[in-house]
Amino acid sequence: MAYLTQYQYYENDGASPEDANWGSYQYVSLRDIVSNYQLMYSGNNELVNEKSRYKILFHAKRAIQELNYDAFKEIKVLQLNVSDDLRFILPSDYVNWVRLSMFKDGVVFPLTENIQVTSAQAYLQDSNNRILFDETGAALKPEFSPIDEARLNKTLKSMYLNENSPYNGYEGWCIDGMWYFDFPVGGAWFGLNTETANANPTFRIDAKAGVINFSSAMSGESCILEYVSDGMEGGDDSLITVNKLFEDYVYAYISYALLNSHMGTQEYIVNRAKKNKSALLRNAKIRISNIHPGRLLMNLRGQNKWIK
Amino acid sequence: MIDSVRNTVLSILNKNNFGYLSPADFNLYAKQAQLEIFDQYFYDYNYQINKENIRQSGTGYADISRSLEEVIDTFSTVANFTTNPFALPNDYYLLNRILPQGSNYEMEQVSNSKINLLLSSYLTAPSLSFPAYVQNGNNATAYPDTITSGTIQYIRYPLAPNWTYSVLTAGEPVFDQGQADYQDFELPADDEPRLVNKILEYSGVSIREMDVVNYSLAQEQLDDQASK
Repeated sequence: MAYLTQYQYYENDGASPEDANWGSYQYVSLRDIVSNYQLMYSGNNELVNEKSRYKILFHAKRAIQELNYDAFKEIKVLQLNVSDDLRFILPSDYVNWVRLSMFKDGVVFPLTENIQVTSAQAYLQDSNNRILFDETGAALKPEFSPIDEARLNKTLKSMYLNENSPYNGYEGWCIDGMWYFDFPVGGAWFGLNTETANANPTFRIDAKAGVINFSSAMSGESCILEYVSDGMEGGDDSLITVNKLFEDYVYAYISYALLNSHMGTQEYIVNRAKKNKSALLRNAKIRISNIHPGRLLMNLRGQNKWIK
Repeated sequence: MIDSVRNTVLSILNKNNFGYLSPADFNLYAKQAQLEIFDQYFYDYNYQINKENIRQSGTGYADISRSLEEVIDTFSTVANFTTNPFALPNDYYLLNRILPQGSNYEMEQVSNSKINLLLSSYLTAPSLSFPAYVQNGNNATAYPDTITSGTIQYIRYPLAPNWTYSVLTAGEPVFDQGQADYQDFELPADDEPRLVNKILEYSGVSIREMDVVNYSLAQEQLDDQASK
């Protein structure tokens, strides 16, 4: 029996959206994972028995979350404009970032995470620097802290090589759009801090506040955020899927998690399940890394290139 | 089968003029005996599964658990519900599967002590893909509460057997299965000896004949040993 007819796959049976099934064959649904597990790995004559479905579901979802964090190469991308508040609100399914870029003049410029603090909370203080409180006892807060205000007013100095660098405009640095550095000796540049040697705008992520704060040069620019989610699809169980390369690993993870937390299970059985889980994860990671001979060949062709 | 069971019981009881069993008493004991044996099927099934797990069971004709399953499945039936919470069938012994309308996603039974924890968890909250229900008395509540109808597949209790007669001949009731309230045993034919033993056990107590009770208990033990 065919899973989908070609017409269902390419045109979704004429329904909208047309692309609903494109690429779907790569994935197995959470529903199938749980059903298959109950059918094949849990039951009267199996190692795992008398486990409620919600426990299997919980461990299946935890396995999928863990896979989404690092093993899956499924990076989500969101592009938004940054206004003069220099803020990018994190996506609703954001868990961690992979890369931020500025899209300008048809070019994608990778952005650097600022190693300095660029944003803070603040409390209102009187002339004796005593914190002011309201009638409920909560400390009064200004709209912006001084450092935020400086950043928004484009007066916050930066140790990066952009227009907010304290050395910007000085001899030996950026003059008329050309960059010159200290101590050119024998063709090499000494004194350059490579960690901050980047002219693009910088950012810092305030995870608790749920925003990315940018340096002032990002105002009005378009930002591309590449990030990872946890694969939970906003809580809609019917949309949660796993790449088939990881299907066996998810089963093994569930078995291990259930056996490991079940009182009285012999340690050798728990260890066996643990090794099985780890081995399957390694296999799946190798498979999904797509080390193709053709790609290796392209890299190896660079071996005769003159570097200097 | 019910007439055959009754004749055997009466034959054993009357052999030494121990006593007589009226149709009303027979029906009462028959119901009890059938319930006991029916209940025992589930324990036997569990016993066989444990034997399978220690590799002391076979396949094909030696597959005892399958034959037990087949007997239990003869009591399987289906009912619908159209509200939420919904009433459970009056004759259910074991709820086997509850499905929301138009869905293949079985509802999982969850204890009352767990449901609030499940509902407050992002990962395990019941959804249409993984629905759940809790039981309160003879009612059940489905989660998520958008479920308002569905089907219940369950194992029902066997119907109470009723040996019926219409006329008396020489003072003896004559079996008549054409009566409206006639009901045969619902257990398979190979349970006839067990039914006879059980009814004899009750009858022996009733007529205060310990010989009958001891005989039936001994037979029961032999039967148990043979089946294990």
